[in-house]
Amino acid sequence: MSEEKKKHKKRRTATQAAASIGPMVKEFIAGTIRAKEEARQKIAFTFIVCHHEEILAALDVLPLWTENFAGICGAIRDAERFLQRAESLGLSRSLCTYALCGIGFDQWREEIGEMPPNPPWGGQVKPDFMVSTGQILCDPRAKWYQASQLYMPDVPIYNIDMPYPLFDPKRDHRDVWGYYHKYIVKELRGFVKFVEEQTGNKMDYDRLTELVDLSDRTWNLIDETYKLRASVPSVMGTGDAMNTMVPMCFRMASQEAYDFFFNLKKELEEKIAKKEGEVEDEKYRLMWGGGLPSWFALGDFNYFNSKGAVFPVETTYRMVAPLNEMDLPETKDPIERLAWKWLGYWTFWYDKARKRPGSEPDVERLINWIEEYKIDGIVMHEAFSCRTWHVGLIWQLNQLAKIYKPIPVLTLGKGGEKTVENRELPSLILESDIIDISTYSEVDTRNRIDAFIETLESVRQSKAV
Amino acid sequence: MTKAVILDNEIIASVIGPTGAEQRRLANNVMEKALKEAGIPFEAITYIVSTGYGRINVPFADKQVTEISCHAKGIVSLFPDARTIIDIGGQDSKGIKIDKDGRPTDFVMNDKCAAGSGRFLEVIADTLEIDLEKMGEISLTSKNPASISNLCTIWAQQEVVARLSEGVPVNDLVAGVHESLANRVSRMVRRLNIEREIVLTGGGAKNIGLVKALSNYMDYPILVPPEPLITGALGAALMGKAITEKAKTQGIQLDTKERSLQVVEIL
Amino acid sequence: MNDKNSIISSKVEKYYQDYGARAKELKAQGKTIIGWVCSFVPLEIITAAGCVPFRIRGDIREPITKGDNLLETIVCPFVRSCFDLSVKGRYDFLDGIVIPHACDSMTRSYSTWMYSLELPFSQFVNIPSVVKESSFEFFNEVLNTFRQTLGEFVGKAISDNDIAEAIKLHNENRDKAKALYEFKKSDPPVISGVELAKVLTVGSSLPITESNSLFDEVIEELKNRKESPRKKGPRIMIDGACLDNIELIKLIEDTGANVVADTLCNGTRDSLPHADVDRDPIDALAHRYLDKVNCPKTYIDNKELNLQKDLENRFGDIGYFAKEFKVDGSILYVYKYCDPFGFEVPARKAYYNSINIPHLYLEDEYTTGTIGQLKTRIQAFLEMIA
Repeated sequence: MSEEKKKHKKRRTATQAAASIGPMVKEFIAGTIRAKEEARQKIAFTFIVCHHEEILAALDVLPLWTENFAGICGAIRDAERFLQRAESLGLSRSLCTYALCGIGFDQWREEIGEMPPNPPWGGQVKPDFMVSTGQILCDPRAKWYQASQLYMPDVPIYNIDMPYPLFDPKRDHRDVWGYYHKYIVKELRGFVKFVEEQTGNKMDYDRLTELVDLSDRTWNLIDETYKLRASVPSVMGTGDAMNTMVPMCFRMASQEAYDFFFNLKKELEEKIAKKEGEVEDEKYRLMWGGGLPSWFALGDFNYFNSKGAVFPVETTYRMVAPLNEMDLPETKDPIERLAWKWLGYWTFWYDKARKRPGSEPDVERLINWIEEYKIDGIVMHEAFSCRTWHVGLIWQLNQLAKIYKPIPVLTLGKGGEKTVENRELPSLILESDIIDISTYSEVDTRNRIDAFIETLESVRQSKAV
Repeated sequence: MTKAVILDNEIIASVIGPTGAEQRRLANNVMEKALKEAGIPFEAITYIVSTGYGRINVPFADKQVTEISCHAKGIVSLFPDARTIIDIGGQDSKGIKIDKDGRPTDFVMNDKCAAGSGRFLEVIADTLEIDLEKMGEISLTSKNPASISNLCTIWAQQEVVARLSEGVPVNDLVAGVHESLANRVSRMVRRLNIEREIVLTGGGAKNIGLVKALSNYMDYPILVPPEPLITGALGAALMGKAITEKAKTQGIQLDTKERSLQVVEIL
Repeated sequence: MNDKNSIISSKVEKYYQDYGARAKELKAQGKTIIGWVCSFVPLEIITAAGCVPFRIRGDIREPITKGDNLLETIVCPFVRSCFDLSVKGRYDFLDGIVIPHACDSMTRSYSTWMYSLELPFSQFVNIPSVVKESSFEFFNEVLNTFRQTLGEFVGKAISDNDIAEAIKLHNENRDKAKALYEFKKSDPPVISGVELAKVLTVGSSLPITESNSLFDEVIEELKNRKESPRKKGPRIMIDGACLDNIELIKLIEDTGANVVADTLCNGTRDSLPHADVDRDPIDALAHRYLDKVNCPKTYIDNKELNLQKDLENRFGDIGYFAKEFKVDGSILYVYKYCDPFGFEVPARKAYYNSINIPHLYLEDEYTTGTIGQLKTRIQAFLEMIA
């Protein structure tokens, strides 16, 4: 079996920055194991995108990103035994496979009193506390740790409730976001109190303000950096971005993350100057329009590359938005600032969506980026165990096709004369899962990609000048 | 397959009949054969219990009991120390936990997916043009079982064909599908708290390759009854015996069906 | 019991089979019909606005077809069926739809619902996930926003008094539902599981005053029942989410058991908890829906970090019903792709073990195609607990 795992080829990335991520992640995991042994720093299980990295850093808590650990198990193709372990406890395979992997691993570790045999990259240590947050995004992020707590009954949980107003085409979200802000601030303050109790440390609000400020600057830097990918040829693809999401999502509010993107930006600028694209012969510019990737099949991006397809932009893990384009209320309080950033991010596309008939924030984002990054087609991935990011993708493509037909195509009219007809962008939906490889058929996936490439080519040929 | 067991103080007839769609005809068929084998008339049968998917299609049965309870009863009569039963049939697979009295305390079933049953091996045997009965011994000759990653029977079939054309030896592929099935079955059974003794029954138990593959997933040795195909029917007969004995001590007259086999017309 | 004077055999049966018939009549008379899915929708506000709340159901016999063109198949199958029927026009008499922040299947498909149905009124009610003082504060604001938008839609602001009146009527309904459940305490129960499911289901399709009258009629009929429609048998509880049809209950009762209790959305989860009357009406609603409706989606904090206490806090209602209704066994019925219940299976099992109630965990789709498989498991379970 281990022969099989090593057999699959090492993935090629377009940038050196992306290639440096593997060791970075290995170091995180090693860091948590060291911290556990030294018992100086508290370790917290937690999830990405909660705008709480600053709080954790200011109180000297080491986060263990359980989604990341599960992703690693998936990427090295060693998730199955943990998924099966979770199933043996009564959990259904149809649930979030990140959670199944994590719960399976935790239960196993607790039952035998040590790490399971050959733990991926050293394994996931038992935390001192756990920080949940379902928001209105993801039920597993509220239920996962609660389920794990059955096997770690002495580990407390804080569940941060962080809602945001859903899009209503008829109403301005600013009518309500005041009371959302108030609630989120209270939740975050409650969270600070909880962490103070768990660590015995007192929050240094000056330090917190510095970290929030660093995050702000990092956000803007990341946005500027990713905007460079709109170049022709495009210099960095989604395959790379699935690596560079690491400092964005796991090291926010750190100088390390800022420096990483500073260097990435430089690298991209150099490539643009040399016209060194993701591929030599760029034929099709694609957007990864939605869905978490299959962590065990990131090599598929290289397969796309081999057909001349590049991915200048993706919606997945683009967890920052330009702060200077949001009109957030001013505040000196770092907690209030975090809460405004949160609301600003999630409502970023609402105004634009309201202005375009039939549009909706996710669809609006697709349209804007199709134009900004000069996109020829959209690829979506449906991961069967994740309702959070994958419900609504079919509808988005459907709605996009209804209201946005940007491709002028020559067709023969009724009288035999050549007319120009506007068509929607071609799109492709891939299906498998985030870490459950038994759902993935390489043969089937590549067939679909091949067919899609043929469609893109035929659109390219029939494009009216 | 349809089976029948006639029990007196011991088994006096045991018939394994054909497969087919018309279950009432099949039931009649094995009943007739069993009576002939036992050399007794139909009226001599005190009580009849039917079990399995077709249990509702045995018009002459006095009672229907699920396979879960029947396998439990049948197996514990052969292996008094059995606590975990695994049944791998042609259409489904099950895991049953039993207590020391042979009563089920928990069970899991996979009756939704061909890939978790003997059907999976049948399809692959067909694809590779191998006799189903020979699959087990062929799998044992492999030193390097192929890894079949796909869960779905159709995809697995495609995968096997693809690997074959890549030059992977047939016996490695056959071992690989046995591995796959064993993995899936063990995955299901682990939802129970597995305790020894573990007994494997059903058609799958006659496949030596499958027994070996499954053993690799279990912490304890797997026991196999001498005739795995009839443990359900045996259990049903034992159930009938227990019911009649209880009724006797309580002085109750049991309702029984008319002892005649209806002619079944297929329109 | 096919007595033509029987409310259950006539009126209830009619409105169960022709679900929505009354709503259509009311629509023709000019009433505003607001569709809802899920226990968390604040029905009192809909009633207070002078509208008719109408519970959207799926149809277990209708294969999902049109819905699949727009909604992924990894969504809860019950929600998918509701959506499929909606886009097929089964509920084209609706003027609006209200969907709460309950589970991902509903929340993440809200845009799809809103844009596909294009109803004159669409509202997402953002129910908090946790139960803290600030959550109630927030929830009050959310409810006031809902009250405001619905008021604008019907052209008349909804007053506190309107809401207080609506609370009274809905509380009456809850009292009557409790009275109906009382008829299940005897052995055998005076009302069968199938009958009660039909009554409650029909009730959720009527204006609250008509639902109250109907329940009164049924209670009267049951009081006068000379004998039970059921024989004695194992007393079973069904523990789960939305079960909006009788198929599973019928299956269980056909094997000789009696369904005497439940935690279902179409059962006790919705129909029993009261809204307080000694509080500000909006705050009363916030407390009812967040504090009293017991659903896995509401995160209950394990404050004392004690496993047993946590299980008791989260699942105590199961223990309560098991005792009150003298339950012999429970069927934990969870749809495939259901996150809130799915993650709780190990904890629920642990709780059942702690109160010594045998349980059977069933994972199901929303279709009649699984009946044979369910039957085997249920029968085996009943054989096990006999």
